[in-house]
Amino acid sequence: MATPAFSFTPSTFQKLHPAEFFRRFTTEGVRPDGRLLDAFRPTTVHHGVISTANGSAMVRIGGTTVVCGVKAEVAEPKLDAPDQGYLVPNVELSPMCSSKFRPGPPSEQAQAVSEAINRVLKESKVLDLKDLCIEEGKAVWVLYVDAVCVAYDGNIFDAALAAIMAALKNVRIRKPTYQEGTIKVSGGSTATDENSFRLNLARAPLSATFAIFDTTLTILADPNVTEETISDGQISITLDETGQLCGVTKIGAASCSQSVMKDCVQSAKKRTLQLRGIMNQQ
Amino acid sequence: MSRLDRTRTSAHQLRPFFSSQNLLNRADGSAQFDFGESSVMCSVVGPAEVKLRDEKLDRATIEVVVRPLVGLPGIKDKAREQALRETLEPLVLSGLHPRTGIQIVVQTMKDDGSILATAFNATILALLDAGIPLKSILGAVTCIVDAETNQILLDPTTQELANAKSTHTFVFDNKSSITSDSTQEDKEAVEVSTLYSDSTGLFSEEEYFECAQICYKAVQAVHGFIRTAVQKKLEKEQQQIHS
Repeated sequence: MATPAFSFTPSTFQKLHPAEFFRRFTTEGVRPDGRLLDAFRPTTVHHGVISTANGSAMVRIGGTTVVCGVKAEVAEPKLDAPDQGYLVPNVELSPMCSSKFRPGPPSEQAQAVSEAINRVLKESKVLDLKDLCIEEGKAVWVLYVDAVCVAYDGNIFDAALAAIMAALKNVRIRKPTYQEGTIKVSGGSTATDENSFRLNLARAPLSATFAIFDTTLTILADPNVTEETISDGQISITLDETGQLCGVTKIGAASCSQSVMKDCVQSAKKRTLQLRGIMNQQ
Repeated sequence: MSRLDRTRTSAHQLRPFFSSQNLLNRADGSAQFDFGESSVMCSVVGPAEVKLRDEKLDRATIEVVVRPLVGLPGIKDKAREQALRETLEPLVLSGLHPRTGIQIVVQTMKDDGSILATAFNATILALLDAGIPLKSILGAVTCIVDAETNQILLDPTTQELANAKSTHTFVFDNKSSITSDSTQEDKEAVEVSTLYSDSTGLFSEEEYFECAQICYKAVQAVHGFIRTAVQKKLEKEQQQIHS
């Protein structure tokens, strides 16, 4: 057999034609990192990683790490909702987590993820904001939910949402007493079950994200950063513990048939169930 | 059943459309699209020079700017910019204009619900007006599931959105659309392909796919409207050339 006119090493091939390199794998039903197309990366959840926060958690999905801290502060309520507190979620993608991100004001992606999470928390009524009221019209709790990405390797939405839900479950706020314009917390310096309360979460939405690769509509579960850059679109499906949908987002070039969407919902149901198991382990 | 806005009699009725193209003198293309009392204006400039940092060697860079009705753009508008850009980028044949930029500015003029869908429709009309080569056109429609009646209401107003259990926005391209000469069988067989979908609230799987079906049927009217709008505009231009 004649030798080809020129040849590459696999790593050169990958750099020159990332999509074609990837296609060679997907046609065989695997991915360059050894995963099957429908496999999610190993996931771990750690609760209470920041001792100074009211609640915190760290979630790792493969190479993506997100740390989330919840801080409760006292604020004045809005005039049109005098008995409701606030929930302020924010996702930070700093240059520390990937060279993709530049220093300065939050990138479009960070803002879009923050907004998507804000909508999930608000629209699916995760928390009754009336629970955060201290004294009507005078003082309410405001929960700053900050998720910071420490290492970015794709699928930030799943990781950030899981970290935020785990941190909210972990929240412990000292019981306040309101007296003539001042708020006091009593009962020593450490939070115990008597002098503090936990949040009463109506549901815990968790998500599963899929990338759409090629016109053949190959569905890749839990895309990493390389898969994200060469993919033609993404589907994110958010579900609560009863299997009720809390959000569906499909974005990008490839137009997706209903059957593809149905497969993704099924796969997302399995994944969120597994993720819930991991979250409840500790 | 009468709707909350009292002008419509059915749950699956859209509000009257209105569109007008070539409104702005200084832009290469512009359009306004209305769903009843919701109105969005869009301008397109390009292919034009692009900042060196954003330049792409093999295709045009598409920039989308979303301006809210009042105040400064917030994270909601940023999220909309991303949604619009990632849906339009593959639709535009950007390879024909390498190393250039296409800037799309979307401004809400009146807000009475379904703004994202209105914005999608305004943008596609503005791109057509600017003569930017496209692979296909798109059409967008929003629907809600009412919290009390569990009924699916198309093209909701702000008032109806306040009573929604879940909100769904769908965008479909016209590659697989139902045409007037296709038979009943064809209409049944056509598979619904979603280009963009965004749903929030609490809903079941069945509700989601039912909403997709209903919106898909409704979008055919939007596609038809866009086609007529372009046809009329071209006829007018032809007349001007020959007169």
